[in-house]
Amino acid sequence: MQEVAVQVEGLVVNYGPFVAVDNLSFTVNSGEIYGLLGPNGAGKTSTLKVLVGVLEARARKIEVFNTPISQEVAAKSQIGYVPEEVVLLDSLTPREFLEFIASIRKLEASAANSRLEKLVSAFELKQFFDTPIAALSMGNKQKVAIIAALLHEPRLLVLDEPLIGLDARSSKILKELVTFHAKRGGAVIFSTHIMEVAEKLCDRVGIINKGKIVGEGTVNELRKLVKSAEGSLEDIFLKVTEQEAGMQDVIRALEEEEKQP
Amino acid sequence: MYKEISFQSIFSLRAGGALPRRGKDDVRTLISNAEVSTILSKLITTLFIAFFGFAVFLPLMAGTSSSYPTRELTAVGSVSTFLAVVLFLISFMGLQVSTSFVSSKAIDVLTPLSLSKSDISHIVFLCFIRIFDIPLAASAMVLLLAYYFIGGSFLGGLAAFAGIIVTEAFALMLTVGLARFFYSRVAGGGGKSRWKTLLRFVFMLVWILPSFGIYFVVNFAGQIAQSFTSLTQGVSSILQLLVLIYPFSYGYLVSFATFSFQASYLTVALSVAACSGYFALAAYCVKWVTRTVGRIGAGGISTALREVVKDTAVSPQAPWLGTIRKDLRIASRSPSYASLFLLPAIEAAVLAMSFSSFNEVGLSSTLGLLTGMSVVVLMLPPTLVSIEGLAASYTRSLPLKKKTLISAKTLLSTLTYAISLVVLFVVALYVGRSYFYILTFGAIHLFSVAAATMLELIILTNKFWKEGFAIGNIYARLSTYILIIIPGLAVVMIPIIAALATFLLAQSLTLAVFLGLAVTEFAVATAYVALEK
Repeated sequence: MQEVAVQVEGLVVNYGPFVAVDNLSFTVNSGEIYGLLGPNGAGKTSTLKVLVGVLEARARKIEVFNTPISQEVAAKSQIGYVPEEVVLLDSLTPREFLEFIASIRKLEASAANSRLEKLVSAFELKQFFDTPIAALSMGNKQKVAIIAALLHEPRLLVLDEPLIGLDARSSKILKELVTFHAKRGGAVIFSTHIMEVAEKLCDRVGIINKGKIVGEGTVNELRKLVKSAEGSLEDIFLKVTEQEAGMQDVIRALEEEEKQP
Repeated sequence: MYKEISFQSIFSLRAGGALPRRGKDDVRTLISNAEVSTILSKLITTLFIAFFGFAVFLPLMAGTSSSYPTRELTAVGSVSTFLAVVLFLISFMGLQVSTSFVSSKAIDVLTPLSLSKSDISHIVFLCFIRIFDIPLAASAMVLLLAYYFIGGSFLGGLAAFAGIIVTEAFALMLTVGLARFFYSRVAGGGGKSRWKTLLRFVFMLVWILPSFGIYFVVNFAGQIAQSFTSLTQGVSSILQLLVLIYPFSYGYLVSFATFSFQASYLTVALSVAACSGYFALAAYCVKWVTRTVGRIGAGGISTALREVVKDTAVSPQAPWLGTIRKDLRIASRSPSYASLFLLPAIEAAVLAMSFSSFNEVGLSSTLGLLTGMSVVVLMLPPTLVSIEGLAASYTRSLPLKKKTLISAKTLLSTLTYAISLVVLFVVALYVGRSYFYILTFGAIHLFSVAAATMLELIILTNKFWKEGFAIGNIYARLSTYILIIIPGLAVVMIPIIAALATFLLAQSLTLAVFLGLAVTEFAVATAYVALEK
């Protein structure tokens, strides 16, 4: 029987009077890649931030591999997190930053260095290893964040739009790593706007809209939900989030404007 | 554009990074704080210049130096001093904003717009000049006004005006050059070697110490002017050499034009030639600044060449040590943070200079010194908490215990205080004063300082843990920043006040009371931290 990697029940996130996440519940099993999809401002990032301990919120239950997130250190030790906005310690170099990460995660030097060498080589970051993070391109900063998330071989990967800025090679490597991680029994929560990636990579998908889960399951299960035999995940997403209706009118209006001299 | 650059300079944001989307009021407060801080910084520079001008020109304006050679040479000294100090003040007080200007990505927004390269260069140059608008105008006005009150001539006024223009051109070139050098070598260049680390430390000292020098300059304005005047009097035999050297060349020219100075035609000719040469150099400086600033707008600054990376080895340490190392590394690349670390030691050195006027360093003097040093150290904890800046939310995702964070930052703050004590002790030894009280009470006071910093950090971590340590949170609520220092201050003052009271009532028990209270504070604070998760 699969172990439950993540269990979220009744999550509520407020920013003042604004309710970003409204009584959200979902589960992720070990060995599973769970895609979290939703329009801009739906509550995906807020949900992930609560899970990794960056934001505090109200919930009936939030557990990571049966560890409540109130036991912050124990829960965070099992998580590798890549944020949507990669804001790292800019004045440090990747070497210094990853050294800090390895220190906080209490990694042995030999294990850390062995893993680091492979990851840095895989993401072709060696030539930038002693350049301040502030001077790196967005893609290279993303690579630093990804390496930091993978360094301690976490049980749960929480990746918020991890493919932004990555070149094709690094993108492919990350997807392979994520797939391999799940096959080895780890769990992944993967948030992305790229539906094709979610469709190919994710075992199950949860679609959030206005802070609530409006559809959850495998792609086939979601097709049944929207009564569409062959629709892509993108079509399902637009139907479930009720964005399909006005979309054609908007596209037509823009096309009319383009045609005008 | 200018507002964005000022905003980035205040918060040392290098990549035009995003602020938290939520908390609009906090962001608005940040923006207005940045605007106020920028204007305040310019006004402070202007006030320093005005004050210095008044102090330096007062003897001439009051007519107290009315006879030759005193009056003429006093004018030389005053004008030369004023020009030198204006150069120093404008260059170094504008350094932080200039560095942010050089590293700012704000200018990138102009390039996709339908503006020519020339237009962008002009906009960028005007932004840069705006950074210094008030001090530049004030320097010229102060000098010309002072010259007017001296009762000078039109020719002398022209010479004075030329002198200030040249000085301002030199100041702008110096500040852009230093900012560019700092950004490319220190902030922008990485490097793993010990040599590079040492070089960064040296650059940081070069960066920071003049900033403290500004306060010395203003405090000792009269004495500095007197020294310049004495120099001109003392080296009358090599007067002709001195007239060639900036800023003396302008000092002499103004004095020649005002008082019909008794000097040879050769000396006057040399002065005119030197001033003309400097004027030409200043014209080149303005051209260089315009070109460089324009280039910054067009393509930014290239950082130091990347060294070849031979390996990817790291040396992880215990979490508390890793945190300290990270904080020191960040501070070593930011003048504002580094200066806060150095401030206690520099303050100790400055205060210790007063030892020479004491017969002995007694208990009350020692306790007064310890109070002064403690106050400065207590500013460190809020700064250390905000040192991660916008990356604080990422750091929160790491399995870092609150007590590890508190312990690491307490150790760092206390170490800074310990270094100041060493400075105090060394100076006392050097001037041959008794160091008994410094050693005993100073060492004991370490416990109190540690307890105070722990208290501040406990309050900060509990207050801001829920919201993340985003730098905006502290600076948006400056009152909170100040309020947090108050409990810390109370903790360091309790043993000091108790010691003073005991000294008056039962002298023999002073040390015991001081020790008892300091150790108790430390024990209570440590126990509280140990209970934190």
